[in-house]
Amino acid sequence: MKITYILFAASVFVLSACNNRKPSEELLNKKAAIPASFNFSKAGLKVITSSINKKEQTMSTLYGNDLALKTAISGTTSYPPGENLTLVTWSQQDDDRWFGAKIPGDLLSVEVVKIISSNTGSITTIYQRFTGKKLIKDIDTAHQQERINYIFSQKPSVMP
Amino acid sequence: MNAQPSKLFKRKPIIIAAILLIGFLSIQFIRPQITNPPVKAEIEAPAEVKSILTRACYDCHSNQTNLRWYDQISPVYWKVASHVNTGRKHLNFSNWQNLAPADQKAILWEAVNQIAAGAMPIKDYELVHPSAAVSKSDLEVLKKYVSSMSPKQISGDTAKINAADKQYVHWQKATADQAKLPKALNGITYIPDYKNWESISSTERFDNGTMRIIFGNPTAIKAIREHHINPWPNGTTFAKVAWDQITDKGGNVHTGAFKQVEYMIKDDKKYAATAGWGWARFKTDKLVPYGKTAMFTTECVSCHKPLSNTDFVFTSPIEH
Repeated sequence: MKITYILFAASVFVLSACNNRKPSEELLNKKAAIPASFNFSKAGLKVITSSINKKEQTMSTLYGNDLALKTAISGTTSYPPGENLTLVTWSQQDDDRWFGAKIPGDLLSVEVVKIISSNTGSITTIYQRFTGKKLIKDIDTAHQQERINYIFSQKPSVMP
Repeated sequence: MNAQPSKLFKRKPIIIAAILLIGFLSIQFIRPQITNPPVKAEIEAPAEVKSILTRACYDCHSNQTNLRWYDQISPVYWKVASHVNTGRKHLNFSNWQNLAPADQKAILWEAVNQIAAGAMPIKDYELVHPSAAVSKSDLEVLKKYVSSMSPKQISGDTAKINAADKQYVHWQKATADQAKLPKALNGITYIPDYKNWESISSTERFDNGTMRIIFGNPTAIKAIREHHINPWPNGTTFAKVAWDQITDKGGNVHTGAFKQVEYMIKDDKKYAATAGWGWARFKTDKLVPYGKTAMFTTECVSCHKPLSNTDFVFTSPIEH
């Protein structure tokens, strides 16, 4: 009788080991998450392109609203009011599910470029940068124009 | 009265043993074939790599199957024969030179990943053939070997830039509505809407010089938000888009030519035979469906199989 129990317990253990689904929580890339409070998803942005900086070991994805995507594809350099371009940058980490790949690691920054028209009708470009896991707004305003130019210069990825 | 039953009782074990023996002997005649065809196009690799392949892989993945005496006895033999025959179908190092160089590389990277994930050598085979085990240091040797073959990225690679530019101009002019959407051999139609979905991750693939974005449809995004991703709910669809890597002078890598888009569509009933997912791949900006027959999905499933505990999904999604 005892041995039957032991065998039964052992087989249950073996079968459960075979069917060992990992909990959903463990499968998310937590490091790379964009905090929900940032409302990134609500902005309804689309992927424009992506890039990798080998020296810094970072990877970025450029998103934009429909207007920004349209302007980018057309290749024009006059950016209409209402455009939103958002560049998200992560540090890289090795992909533990595929030797031969690197995937986003820690969230480093989100840079937002918006074209707005003021009450007086003048068009201005706004640049904001949020850094770190919690996306704290960066008060340093150095290199803003450089970053705006870089973001505008990104060519969309071909997506048939 | 007592004498007869006891005699029978004594005989019974002998009769049973005899029946079993006859049964055992007769199943020996049921022998699926394992042939060893001549080796004409064997893989060439550094000695230390080759010795690992020979020891750990060749029994099932070459024409040089080495059957031990205990492998020859049915029913063990049946299992061995099935391992060998399916193994050779997936990958045969004896026919290696017949493969295109790009396919050779992709297969080697996949093999290393199958070993790293513990999916290869197959566990019940390894149990009976402990010499086939791949140790940590063996795995390092193999990793180093495949890494040495990863494509070198040249900054300002004009061939790649030209290919990308040509494609780009064509795409830029293309009208949004495509007359007829291509269809894969398993009946899955190209889904142009993927580009309007949210991205859930990206990858740099230094094994093959591509970079990728993984998109998830609204069902996938909802599942991620609710942390219900193992298993993924039916209706989840992923699109993984791959581009060439183009490295500029400053060492920044941008997307080049569009290489392919791959879909995974979850439906545990409709696609029960292929791990609960519908698979499709469309190559180049001409969107050519991948595969020669509808059986192309066996390739998809076998590569994703080591991920069975994450519902066959490689991507670790980024919540946002």
